[in-house]
Amino acid sequence: MKEPQKFNRREVLGKGLSLGLLVGGAVILGKTDFLLGQGPSASLPDLVAVKNGEPDALFKKAIDLLGGMRRFVKKGQTVVVKPNIGFPRVPEVGATTHPLLVKTIIESCYAAGAGKVYVFDNVVTPTAGNARNCYRLSGIDEAARAARGIVVPVDDFSYREVRIPGGKKLKTADVHALILDCDVFINVPVLKHHSSAHLSIAMKNLMGIVKNRMEYHLVGLDQCIADFCLYRKPDLNVVDAYRVLMSQGPAGPSNPHFADIQIKKTLLVSQDIVAVDAAAARIFGKDPEDIGYIKIGHAQKSGNMNLKDLKIVTYAM
Amino acid sequence: MTLITFRKVLSGLFFLLFLMLFAGGERLSAILSGILPPFQFVPALLRTLAQPAALFAAGLIGIVVLTLIFGRVYCSFLCPLGALQDLLIAASRKIGLRPRHAYRPPNNLLRYAILAVAAGALVAGFQSAVSLLDPFAWWGRLVTDFVLPLLTGSYNLAILAGKPFDLYLHPRQTPFITPPALALSAAFLALIVYLALTRGRLYCNTVCPVGAFLGLLARFSLFRFAAEKNACTECARCAEVCKAGCIDPQNAAIDMSRCVACFNCLDACARTTIRYRPQIPAVRFEDWSPARRRVVLGGFAGGLALTLASFAGLRQMLRIPSAKAQTPVTPPGSGNLARFTSRCCACSLCVAACPTAVLAPSFADYGTGALLQPKLNYEQSYCDYECNVCGRVCPTGAIADLALAEKKLIAIGEAKLLEDICVVYVNKTNCGACGEVCPTHAMRFEDRENILYPEVDQRYCIGCGACQLACPTTPRSIVVEPHKTHKRAEKYPEPARRPAPPPTASGDDFPF
Repeated sequence: MKEPQKFNRREVLGKGLSLGLLVGGAVILGKTDFLLGQGPSASLPDLVAVKNGEPDALFKKAIDLLGGMRRFVKKGQTVVVKPNIGFPRVPEVGATTHPLLVKTIIESCYAAGAGKVYVFDNVVTPTAGNARNCYRLSGIDEAARAARGIVVPVDDFSYREVRIPGGKKLKTADVHALILDCDVFINVPVLKHHSSAHLSIAMKNLMGIVKNRMEYHLVGLDQCIADFCLYRKPDLNVVDAYRVLMSQGPAGPSNPHFADIQIKKTLLVSQDIVAVDAAAARIFGKDPEDIGYIKIGHAQKSGNMNLKDLKIVTYAM
Repeated sequence: MTLITFRKVLSGLFFLLFLMLFAGGERLSAILSGILPPFQFVPALLRTLAQPAALFAAGLIGIVVLTLIFGRVYCSFLCPLGALQDLLIAASRKIGLRPRHAYRPPNNLLRYAILAVAAGALVAGFQSAVSLLDPFAWWGRLVTDFVLPLLTGSYNLAILAGKPFDLYLHPRQTPFITPPALALSAAFLALIVYLALTRGRLYCNTVCPVGAFLGLLARFSLFRFAAEKNACTECARCAEVCKAGCIDPQNAAIDMSRCVACFNCLDACARTTIRYRPQIPAVRFEDWSPARRRVVLGGFAGGLALTLASFAGLRQMLRIPSAKAQTPVTPPGSGNLARFTSRCCACSLCVAACPTAVLAPSFADYGTGALLQPKLNYEQSYCDYECNVCGRVCPTGAIADLALAEKKLIAIGEAKLLEDICVVYVNKTNCGACGEVCPTHAMRFEDRENILYPEVDQRYCIGCGACQLACPTTPRSIVVEPHKTHKRAEKYPEPARRPAPPPTASGDDFPF
């Protein structure tokens, strides 16, 4: 993984110059309150929640309110978009991320100047046939390719072991090389019921970038999910709550007709993975206090689950 | 086009088709399995005896009629193992290992004894004798055990080569062949290669029961090879090209029971004294000696008696169990253990086509009477809920071709949760790996103080083994126990529809 903050000389000069112009201009025009943080661009929200739209419109609105994609993706950077493709299910089941959302995010990355955008998930039962089915049935394979995303299937050879600093139960993890080598990591989970973790959202979605996910189950699921965030948090979390699987998760039934779905047409974006999970839990109708890994993640200071402490911008379309 | 070219083209085509049947992937296998196996003797016979289907019965009758008219053309045109031997024989001639064949007297006692054993075994449902002798089954196992791993292995390697260029493809699953089954296949491969390289089609004329049976018919075939005794110079060129070793140049006699109708002798004969044409039956019985008949009949009766004795009486006397106490899980569609083991010819087509590679050849798990028949190998993989390929490809009907909706409700076993080693019960931490992958919602979770304890609801469990594969403990805390007779699971009830919340114009009603 590269350093999270990198400036080159041109960038610093450019930023300095524009800042100077901005301050100078504001002073001249007499609108100095804009510089003191009351304006929208000076203090960006911690979390944005948008609802009542289609996935593409929801994302465009939400990322605008969060300061635009250029805040996260710089020219020529390599991006990994990590949706949930864990199960061989059609999008209507709500077990996988909405393909249109994945497509819109990829397009938005390229529009911001991204060099390459990879799409990847380590499916839950990683046999070759099953992985192919997951990618195909979820509609994500096709949608991502349509937006020039590079779809990367599962294999056993692409993982490298990393140490988890301060991990209580998860000491090491085998992380996919794409995540280790990329500039920008965008986590795009789907909000859904989960039979053994109560809910699967952003923190849980990171189990799809490690190979030793069964170790999580063995030594303590909630603690391991939270521990991984001590190593690497995504640069941006986009939670798909358009079509929410309310029971029978995480897989849901194979027949979408039997899926216990609630159409919520909601989308959450945040850089804070704990906050976005807490907000999504509320959207689902659960108290974040009841979700083990959210509580542990907050205690381990991976993010803030106290939503009232955060600057949250909501918008209904 | 000469008859030889015709034979080479046609057998080459069938060779490739039979290769693709086993190594062409599940989709191609499913298509070809509807076309090719009806014209293979043993699958057609097994299917027709157990559960007649029009195409298979027609195929069986077709093979018999074809043989009665043209001789054993089956062995040179349709049999993939025959084509494999022909390739080896051609190679042997090219490298000078065996440039010339020669006449070989028949070993009738052995050949009809083997036929009798195979026939007796078929009647008694002792499938091992059939599957260890049937050329189609051996062909299938050779391709599945050696060619398929080689193909998928190189495909997967090629995929790795594309990675640096951002070219990504899904790898393919390589079938898992249990070591004893693989050893047996390797031994047979060595045998067939050795025999073909040094003895021509000896296997087909001494070991193969299909060859022996068709040979009995070919004795009376309408079209026959015959040399004109007066014109023959005994140059023996015909015998030198005869892979079957059935031409006796000194007597200008051709043994139609061993002739595989390759037509090589027609081209080799300098004076074209060998002809292939319809001939009247009168000449046929000249070389039919009563002494040999006694040998043949004796061999047949002896073999049959031996086979039958070895089943009921002998096996009980020696206390050889018919199957292990704990038999493996059988594929969905096999109905019950007895039905399955008595119909399967262990050709491994289901093993080759299984997309999750959960099907693997057993060795003696089903007992000595059902060697090499496939089992569900839950330590390696699981049975995909959305798949019914094994039933679609099965040539003998041992695995019935169930509709997918029907297959989804067939319980081939049931999951047993071992609470004394399950991490949730032992450590009081959430795990639920079994529930994540259960396709039928047979795994239920009881919430006690925010810890979710797994339970199996046997009404919905179909024994697919997904939970067993996912279970992180060693040994596994959830294992599938087989149903010797498959059961029918209940359909999971449809949940009540949830209404969509009415869209609101303001952003004030977010729950935070």
